[in-house]
Amino acid sequence: MLFLIVAALLTVGASLAVLLPLTKQVSRVATADAHDIEVYRDQLQELERDAGRGLIAPAEAVEARTEIARRLLRISAGGDTQADRHGSPLAARAVGVAAVLAVPLVSWGLYATLGSPTLPDAPLSARLAENPKDQSIDELVARAEAHLAGNPEDGRGWDVLAPIYARMQRQQDAVAAYRHAIRLLGDSAERQAGLGEALAGMAAGLVTAEASAALRRAIELDPANSKARFFLAVAMAQDGRLAEAKAAWQAMAAALPENDAWRGAAENAVAEADRRLAAASPAQQPAPGPTQQDIDAAAELSSQDRTAMIETMVAGLDARLRENPQDEEGWARLIRSYVVLGKSDEAGDALKRGVAALDGAAAARLTTLAASLGLVATE
Amino acid sequence: MAMVEIGHFALVLAFALALVQTAVPFAGARIGDERLMAAGGPITIAGFLATAFAFAVLTSAYVQSDFSVLNVWENSHSLKPMLYKITGTWGNHEGSMLLWVVILTFFGAMVALFSANLPASLRADVLSVQGLIGAAFLLFVLTTSNPFTRLIPAPFEGRDLNPILQDIGLAIHPPLLYLGYVGFSVCFSFAAAALIEGRIDAAWARWVRPWTLAAWMFLTGGIAMGSYWAYYELGWGGFWFWDPVENASFMPWLAGTALLHSAIVMEKRSALKIWSVLLAILTFSLSLLGTFLVRSGVLTSVHAFATDPSRGVFILAILTLFIGGSLALFALRAGTLTAGGLFHPISREGSLVLNNLFLTTATATVLVGTLYPLLLEAVTGDKISVGAPFFNLTFGPVMLPLLVAVPFGPLLAWKRGDLLAVSQRLFAAFAVAIFATLLVLMLVDSAGAFAAAGVGLSAWLILGPLTDLAMKAAVGSVPVAVSLRRLIGLPRSIIGTALGHLGLGLTTLGIVCTLAFQVEHITVMKPGETTDIGSRQIRFEGFSPVQGPNFTETRALFTAIAADRSESGRVSAAKRVYTARQMPTTEAGILTLGLSQLYVSLGDPTDDGGIVVRIWWKPLVTLIWLGALVMMAGAGVSLTDRRLRVGAPSRRSRAGKANAEVSA
Repeated sequence: MLFLIVAALLTVGASLAVLLPLTKQVSRVATADAHDIEVYRDQLQELERDAGRGLIAPAEAVEARTEIARRLLRISAGGDTQADRHGSPLAARAVGVAAVLAVPLVSWGLYATLGSPTLPDAPLSARLAENPKDQSIDELVARAEAHLAGNPEDGRGWDVLAPIYARMQRQQDAVAAYRHAIRLLGDSAERQAGLGEALAGMAAGLVTAEASAALRRAIELDPANSKARFFLAVAMAQDGRLAEAKAAWQAMAAALPENDAWRGAAENAVAEADRRLAAASPAQQPAPGPTQQDIDAAAELSSQDRTAMIETMVAGLDARLRENPQDEEGWARLIRSYVVLGKSDEAGDALKRGVAALDGAAAARLTTLAASLGLVATE
Repeated sequence: MAMVEIGHFALVLAFALALVQTAVPFAGARIGDERLMAAGGPITIAGFLATAFAFAVLTSAYVQSDFSVLNVWENSHSLKPMLYKITGTWGNHEGSMLLWVVILTFFGAMVALFSANLPASLRADVLSVQGLIGAAFLLFVLTTSNPFTRLIPAPFEGRDLNPILQDIGLAIHPPLLYLGYVGFSVCFSFAAAALIEGRIDAAWARWVRPWTLAAWMFLTGGIAMGSYWAYYELGWGGFWFWDPVENASFMPWLAGTALLHSAIVMEKRSALKIWSVLLAILTFSLSLLGTFLVRSGVLTSVHAFATDPSRGVFILAILTLFIGGSLALFALRAGTLTAGGLFHPISREGSLVLNNLFLTTATATVLVGTLYPLLLEAVTGDKISVGAPFFNLTFGPVMLPLLVAVPFGPLLAWKRGDLLAVSQRLFAAFAVAIFATLLVLMLVDSAGAFAAAGVGLSAWLILGPLTDLAMKAAVGSVPVAVSLRRLIGLPRSIIGTALGHLGLGLTTLGIVCTLAFQVEHITVMKPGETTDIGSRQIRFEGFSPVQGPNFTETRALFTAIAADRSESGRVSAAKRVYTARQMPTTEAGILTLGLSQLYVSLGDPTDDGGIVVRIWWKPLVTLIWLGALVMMAGAGVSLTDRRLRVGAPSRRSRAGKANAEVSA
């Protein structure tokens, strides 16, 4: 409403800027020839000054004076041509009316197609001052971030924010937040385990050496920490020590009470490990992912060769997806793999192709995943 | 509040007003209606107010980090320092085009305010052409580069401004450059109006010259500031790269310089009228070409913020409309324009024609060097780069005779000059120039003939204008007090000319000395180590980490030690990472000692705790930009000349008085 009032006022103001001069009586202005005469007179005076300063020789000065005088005479002889031009009042009035009408018509017409008159402003400070109850998670996180930007030494703030980041799949931010919390509040099993999980999340699920170190530190502080135990077992499985991992998960599940969330996760992991151990026979069809053999082989290779092997597998996956692009999970794995290999260009390309191949919801999930890995869809 | 939308609406309103501004005064001039012609002024001013308001709203959205505006989200960040929030408004394609239009309408409003003494129909046509340019660019902004596009839901953090642009340079360089570029639009409008009218009034040059001077002054400052910014920000230590983007601003400058000089002849002697009109058209055409090259994304550089083919096509259409239209109009009307006074080849007029010949040739050279690679790439797909070697071989030889001729011009008499007499007057300057050349040859044998000749030329250029002033003030032949009074009493345009030429000499001296005598040293340094640079030394004190508002940096501290072992100052260079974009930048360290500078730039750290350091000693390098400031001052002084204010305030004095003068 306010917008309409202000826009209307602006329009009225602009229209008046057109209308008012058209209603004013204009005194007859000097003709162009009168202006010329004024200039020639000044040129004559200046010539005298230049001659006095020796900037022009006397003979040339006389010549120049004649030139200027001749121009002056030409004007006087030619008479006033412009003064005779009298406007047609009707045509002038038509132009005036059209002009005054054009201002509101063009502006409101064009704005209607370009503008969004109902959208209010959203200055950041005002948005952060809103009642937290009415805000989404994103907004709450933004508030916390704004607070921490001003008070970066608030350890409790980081401690609260870190697991929220992890749940929002903002792993990189989670890692930074956990590190701040550990620096300011000291070590704790919870924080180290969270850091380990976030580090693994950053590496697309791969429990890296850095992540393992954090997880082991958590176990040192609290041997019963479920998260740390679970992910250390994942690390074993990723190293190809699937049987050991299974044993670790079994022990963990046995020690936990019935209704504990980690117990369910551990039991699922045991079942998955069983399935993969059973599937690891050579007669098996090549599974979409790497086979146990591949993983075992990779474990024995030098790190350089392992990278080469992983790259071959990723290339295979890439090729398969080109032929059969209707595979959301496949795309997700491909993007993760490229990110882990540090090939962000390929990852971006895969994201683009995946989004193009998949339908709306799946494409959106893929974009979200990519965003959590630090990739941005370029289209 | 919905200020953003009101700003958007104001911009649309400005477009509507620009259309009216094009049509109403034009129709008034054609049907001879004084009211319609007079309406042009208030409409133009209203258009400027609407555009400026829209710009203010966008700036306020930046200041308040309103991320519901797409443009703000793309180019700002809530943690950015306030200065860069404001300058970030034009640190992107959409915002900078809006600034372009604001300045265009500003010049329109200035013409409307200060043109009371123009013939009514000329004024109407000028405002109408100015309105057409404004309408074209406003439509471009609204349809292809709208800074008021909204983003819903609004994110909570922006994507930050390109760190290279987070610098005080962004506050100065683009506004100055645009004031220059766009200032020439007034000259263009005057030229187009004269062609539409079919006559060039005697006072035409008087009205065009101040606008040319003002635009030229701003463009000089804009180019110099851009050069200094690139010099300290990019960390390569160079001040001019013959980069197409630089050339894009240099071409209108060269053409504008030519226009500045041809306008003098036109004003004084009513000669070179047709040529000046053409030059005014060409100068603004080159400004438009520069805008096209930089804004269309044809060139990739820090200036190409975003590329979008529709924008390129749109600007190309504007370019065709204005350049093609004005040249067609010129072809149609040039025959009806009358040529002016006569002059001898050896005269002030002749020297100014010579100046124009060389400057237009130089402009053409730069144009070829800039466009040829683009055309070649478009036609064959081959990428070639035309850099310093090409321009040294072509631009250099064209400019050299011009520079040698500069001191002669202001000393030659009008209509018929005496070259021999002028040479005699310049004898002292010539002697000093030769002496400087020999001195350099003897003292710095390694620099060779080029450097010696360059220093000689610079001395010639600096002393020539001083000789001119001394002659006109009759220094030496009358008592000092008298000559001082005469000096102050000289017309401002003469002082302005001398300052302009003096600035050119200073810039030349700075360029020659930097190119010929700079010392460069690349080495690996560890904290506590000392290394030689020329006759000086520099000691690496150590690293210190620094936390900036939106970046973290590792700062390396150095101490400069003069030849006599005394400490001459401290300088710190840094490697910075901007957290929002995770983008690293290198911050060069510069220590100014007198007119010379010590320039330190950091490379990569080595494994054993050292760091690659590039050090330059750049003698007299600051003269390059100080010279440009002197040129600007010259233009400023010239602008205050009484002649430019005379115009033709013909109200009291009428034809009768003039006739009496003729018969006298």
